Amino acid sequence: MRETWFKRARAGVITAAVLALVFGFAPTLYNNSSLLFMMMTYIVLAQGLNLLYGFTGYLPFGYVGFFGTGAYATALLVMKLHLPIALAIAAGPVASMVVAVVLGPLLRLSGAYFSIANLAASQILFIVIGNPNMQDITGGPYGVKIDQVYNPTASYAAMVMLVVGVTLIATFFRRSRFGQGLKAMADDPVSAEMSAIPVVRMRLLAWLTSAAVAGLAGALYAWNLSVFYPDAVFTLEISVFAIVFALFGGVGTVLGPIIGAGLLYALYNAIGISEPQYFQLIYGVLIVGLVMFLPEGILSLLTRRGINVF
Amino acid sequence: MQALLEYAIVGGVLYGIFFGLVAVGLNLIFGVMRIINLAHGEFVILGGFGAYWLSTSLGLNPLWGLPLAALGAVVIGFPLYYAVVPGLQRSRDPEMLSFILFFGLAQIIDAIISLGFGPDQRSLPDEALGGGTISVLGQAFPDSWWVAAGVAILAIMGLWLYLTRTRLGFATRAIMANRDEAFATGIAVDRVSAIAFVIGLALAGAAGVFVPYLQGSVAPGIGNNLTTTSFAILIIGSLGNPVGTLFGGLVFGVGSMLMQTFYASWSDLVPYVLLVVIVLLRPQGLFGKAVRNA
Amino acid sequence: MSSEPILALTNVAKSFGGFQVLTDVNFELKPGEILGLVGPNGSGKTSVINLISGVHQPEAGTIRFDGAEIQRLTPHARVKLGINRSFQVPKCFISMSVRENIEVAAHFSGHDADIPAILEDIGLSGMEAAPAASLTANQQKMLDLGRALATGPKLLLVDEIGAGLNPAELTGIADLLKRIAARGISMIVVEHLMEFLNKLTSRVIVLSAGKIIFEGSLGDASHDPEVVTAFFGGAA
Repeated sequence: MRETWFKRARAGVITAAVLALVFGFAPTLYNNSSLLFMMMTYIVLAQGLNLLYGFTGYLPFGYVGFFGTGAYATALLVMKLHLPIALAIAAGPVASMVVAVVLGPLLRLSGAYFSIANLAASQILFIVIGNPNMQDITGGPYGVKIDQVYNPTASYAAMVMLVVGVTLIATFFRRSRFGQGLKAMADDPVSAEMSAIPVVRMRLLAWLTSAAVAGLAGALYAWNLSVFYPDAVFTLEISVFAIVFALFGGVGTVLGPIIGAGLLYALYNAIGISEPQYFQLIYGVLIVGLVMFLPEGILSLLTRRGINVF
Repeated sequence: MQALLEYAIVGGVLYGIFFGLVAVGLNLIFGVMRIINLAHGEFVILGGFGAYWLSTSLGLNPLWGLPLAALGAVVIGFPLYYAVVPGLQRSRDPEMLSFILFFGLAQIIDAIISLGFGPDQRSLPDEALGGGTISVLGQAFPDSWWVAAGVAILAIMGLWLYLTRTRLGFATRAIMANRDEAFATGIAVDRVSAIAFVIGLALAGAAGVFVPYLQGSVAPGIGNNLTTTSFAILIIGSLGNPVGTLFGGLVFGVGSMLMQTFYASWSDLVPYVLLVVIVLLRPQGLFGKAVRNA
Repeated sequence: MSSEPILALTNVAKSFGGFQVLTDVNFELKPGEILGLVGPNGSGKTSVINLISGVHQPEAGTIRFDGAEIQRLTPHARVKLGINRSFQVPKCFISMSVRENIEVAAHFSGHDADIPAILEDIGLSGMEAAPAASLTANQQKMLDLGRALATGPKLLLVDEIGAGLNPAELTGIADLLKRIAARGISMIVVEHLMEFLNKLTSRVIVLSAGKIIFEGSLGDASHDPEVVTAFFGGAA
């Protein structure tokens, strides 16, 4: 039994190990570690979004809401309650899971209704947290500052661990019975119920997992940045990037979001962000092109040739 | 206090009627194609920049933006429909994939507007639409607001007449009721849908002409807000019924104006909270297909 | 009196949006019994199946299975108790292979299913690796039935499995259902085709406009004036 489990997980363990090595040693070869940190953040977000969209078909357009919630939970606990950073970071995913539970009823909606309602929910979080009336509690539009715990090396190392962790979670979704159940639900929820799959509970579990991943990413992002405005962690652009990166690589796979985020984020920086409109134009065209010609992502070029993609 | 309340209500009614026009095109397209046109807000903005261009570069009255919106909708709408929609309807997951595709389209339009006009806010002179004010209950609102509300009512009534009094309109409603059955009864589904798509875009563009007046200015980047607001409005109203959308617009308009008058800093929340609350409270009552069976 | 009923519906009612779909439905099923459920289109046959399998919940009345009330349980909980069904329009997991379709049901129900035997039963042996999407409509119906069997049901609800089959296929599926029943699985079979039903059982319930208008043997049903009116008399 153990051996078959290992066999199933092997590809995931190898992928995680490669990622740990690459991002562990990259700073010694390439000195822009904030770019590397952002790349890891987007790998995590693209993968976290994939856990929900790729395996259940629910596309969380407001995914950034969980990221921002995690970032703010960590920052505020350090600022207001002076909690040790490790504890404050642990609170990030907890806070985003609480938000996910509150938003749980959205899962009763189908497809696009879910996506747009989730988008609205993330905007509500943004408007509330960034509101001038909330200045005493959240810092409002003036943002938060936790430079007393600033530690770029430790936060970088923690993000490497999160990349590894989320790769293993995605492996579990891809290779376990649990993941097979999710796939069945995505195909047909009624038939899935009639296969004894607890559809509502499993969908909620995937939703919470996905939210926790984004919340933890937000917490580490807050630690790494240490000073930020609400816009930095709630901008819709973060959701959009995560969606595009995941789609580009191929959702429903483990490697897709990693490859998509790695390649496109590198491209994004190569083009340069001095002219954001050009990038917006390029990824707009990319999205349209992907949906029309490659809806399963670039990895489907391999799948079509009969190569099994992990 | 009472004057403020009257101000908010009169203003809210005008604002709401206008937002009925902003949302009605989304409703039509959604009803016919079961696709949320996530680029809807961008088409509205395109209408606004069209009027801005006519006014500043050609010195024309911004109201010429209305025929320009119709022309633009024909030129953009038909090729766009045939290039993407039939393929999407055949795809693995038409609902989600078209949602994403139209999102990409929104990004393209947004970027093109930014590159063409710059990222700044643009406004139009009040005089072009009268420049005076008209008062009701002692509350004065600029002529432009009344013109916008008047055009909105004409456009919505026109759409209602089209849907209920013409052959194409009947066919459109048949497709809204059941696309597959419409196919089976020999309706040229693609042609009728393409026309509905173009009408939807034209209405969005027409609404955009008044955005610089009602919103104070038009700028790239506000499209997403307009799309979500429109979606909330179409959910409050009922699917496929333009008069329902007008009602939804009024709920949003009055609610929004009351918030702006009494709790200004929270008024941005109105469309989003309306959307989430309504979608959660009445997902099945207003449109049966919103809820999964399990 | 010989044995307790495995299934008992008492005063069950259901409506959708103000439209009464089922009114005061009462019937029992003994272990190992096959019951035919007939009636004109829209009479509520599939609704009965949906209520028993938990896809919908009744507004009133009780449904007892193996002695326990189940009308408030989720569908998957009922599957674990031993209720399963096939769908009129088969709903297979189209992104999976034939074998995975059956495996997933066996796994989640916790039933130690004999997958090769099920594949043999449903005539898909040797096609384990085929994608479900590549099956014909009839094969998908069989796979749907296989999915139900994989959960080890004690009660199987079969919804118009005969529609669109030719006489030879009908005989084959009737034989299969008889073999399944012979293993002690109780069955409710919704069917339009009386000849097909006749091969399986003599006991039928006739539904009309959401009410049971006849309960008895298939032979008597065809002479019952109310049944005849329901089927042929229209509004008369």
